[in-house]
Amino acid sequence: MLKKRPHLLWLLAPYGLHLVALPLVDRLRPTVLGLPFLFFWILVATLLTPAAVFLAWRGDRKRGRA
Amino acid sequence: MSGDAAVATAIFGGFMVLTVALGLLAVRGHGRTTGLAEWSVGGRSLGTVFIWVLMAGEGYTSFSYLGAAGWGYNFGAPVLYVIAYMSCGYAIGYVVGPTLWSYARRHGLVTITDMVAHRYGRPWLGTVVAVLATVCLLPYIQLQITGMGVVVSTISYGAISLNWAYFIAFAVTTGFVVVSGLRGSAWVSVLKDVLVIATLGFLAIYVPLHYFDGYGPFLDRLVAEKPDWLTFTGHGGSGMGGSWFVTTSFLNSLTVVIFPTTVAGYLGARNADALRRNAMLLPFYNVLLFVPMLLGMAAIFVVPGLTGAGSNLALFKLVVDSLPAWAVGVIGVAAALSSIVPMAVFMLVIGTMWGRSVLGAVPRLAGRPDRQKTAAQVVVVASGALALVLTYTEPNTLVRLSLISYEGMAQLVPMILLGLVWRRLTLWGAVSGLAVGGALVCALVFTEHDPVGGVNAGALALAVNVLVALAVSLWGPRPTASDAARSDDEVLARDPGPEWVVVSGEG
Repeated sequence: MLKKRPHLLWLLAPYGLHLVALPLVDRLRPTVLGLPFLFFWILVATLLTPAAVFLAWRGDRKRGRA
Repeated sequence: MSGDAAVATAIFGGFMVLTVALGLLAVRGHGRTTGLAEWSVGGRSLGTVFIWVLMAGEGYTSFSYLGAAGWGYNFGAPVLYVIAYMSCGYAIGYVVGPTLWSYARRHGLVTITDMVAHRYGRPWLGTVVAVLATVCLLPYIQLQITGMGVVVSTISYGAISLNWAYFIAFAVTTGFVVVSGLRGSAWVSVLKDVLVIATLGFLAIYVPLHYFDGYGPFLDRLVAEKPDWLTFTGHGGSGMGGSWFVTTSFLNSLTVVIFPTTVAGYLGARNADALRRNAMLLPFYNVLLFVPMLLGMAAIFVVPGLTGAGSNLALFKLVVDSLPAWAVGVIGVAAALSSIVPMAVFMLVIGTMWGRSVLGAVPRLAGRPDRQKTAAQVVVVASGALALVLTYTEPNTLVRLSLISYEGMAQLVPMILLGLVWRRLTLWGAVSGLAVGGALVCALVFTEHDPVGGVNAGALALAVNVLVALAVSLWGPRPTASDAARSDDEVLARDPGPEWVVVSGEG
């Protein structure tokens, strides 16, 4: 499946953002907009998750039309 | 009853009547369709919007109002696991959802237990899984009942007692789900999501302004005074450090995609593309989860000293303390609906599993979807009533069971996800893995070894589960001749892929 639809790898991006990156982001400072860094990072990751799924979907759309 | 109590209770009562009415209205025009598929999975006809509303409605339970705020209050950062696993799980749902959906549709299946029965060609396995899954799901029904109970009793300023509030939770939910099934749950979810988004959006702005003059001062104070709440391991040496967070989030992200209630949502979809769009839109809902978490931490300053179950009310203490009665009532309704919708789907799923995989084995019901539906509706009432009675008489039994609910359900992941894509996983491989994984979860959790060595006990059990399943599949008993004779198309599931969308465009 991944050979035909390599763009599905984007679906693993949330794992990278939320889990793999954790050792780097488990910190209080710097605070961003007042938010402790860890909470800021998870918020960013939460907002990037739909973007990652969108990229997978866009890949499928291109294939569907081709 | 004081004036405040009367106002809040009246608003609550009005909305509960509206809820049942809305749930019942949902079957209008579909009432003539008999059979299990219409009731259990909405006739596989729900579009992107309803699927989004329903699945957001299932994911955002009373835990979000009570537990998330309570964890934020008690521990801080470890509560972020809820957001992490939902984001990851929703993302892989992009592939898993259409895969399960097309498998169920092709073979006329309505729940995970008959998927298992079909995959392995053994109806008894469906029965076993249905019983195990019911044991894992019953505690969730009780959690919703007790969750709604404390909310209703709090927002009515004590006018509605806990015992009555438990009963109302059961009565309202049963009131519509027996008749209108998944479609009714989706309709009620619309009301729920509107109220949840509006009230949490409001609270996110109002509470920091009211108590701290805005977010700046609130967050500054949090960072300055409570730094140990703001990173793993969290406050109080909870044992929930970074490795616990990663293993728990990973495990739950796999579990949530095969969780029977999630699968009910998948199977309700009109087509695979509705599920793909949903996977894209659903993670946005997680942003809302930050609100109860942050407000739970705000409550540390405003209502210090809550302990035990009291900390679950961290958010509602702020609400009752700072808002007029009518607003308290509306927020209470949003929280109550966050119990009712998931509870409805839990009961629906238990009913479906039993109607199909347990009672469906009874000769009088076999091959008769209309009778299976009636049986399922009876089981819905019975399971809800059982959870209610246990809440009154033996509250601790289900609390203990709830400890293994999610980690126990996780042990079905190899049997379902791996089994549906990998032909060489044998019946006995899958069964052995499930047995060993399930036993290990019970052993570790009930001897209070969870987390074990900083790792989620269910994740450890899942690893053992997979190893056993692989070993037995490769070196254990060979499949019987009749099993080996079935074609891959018959046994395995696959993501229909984007081309399929074009083909089925008219459907």
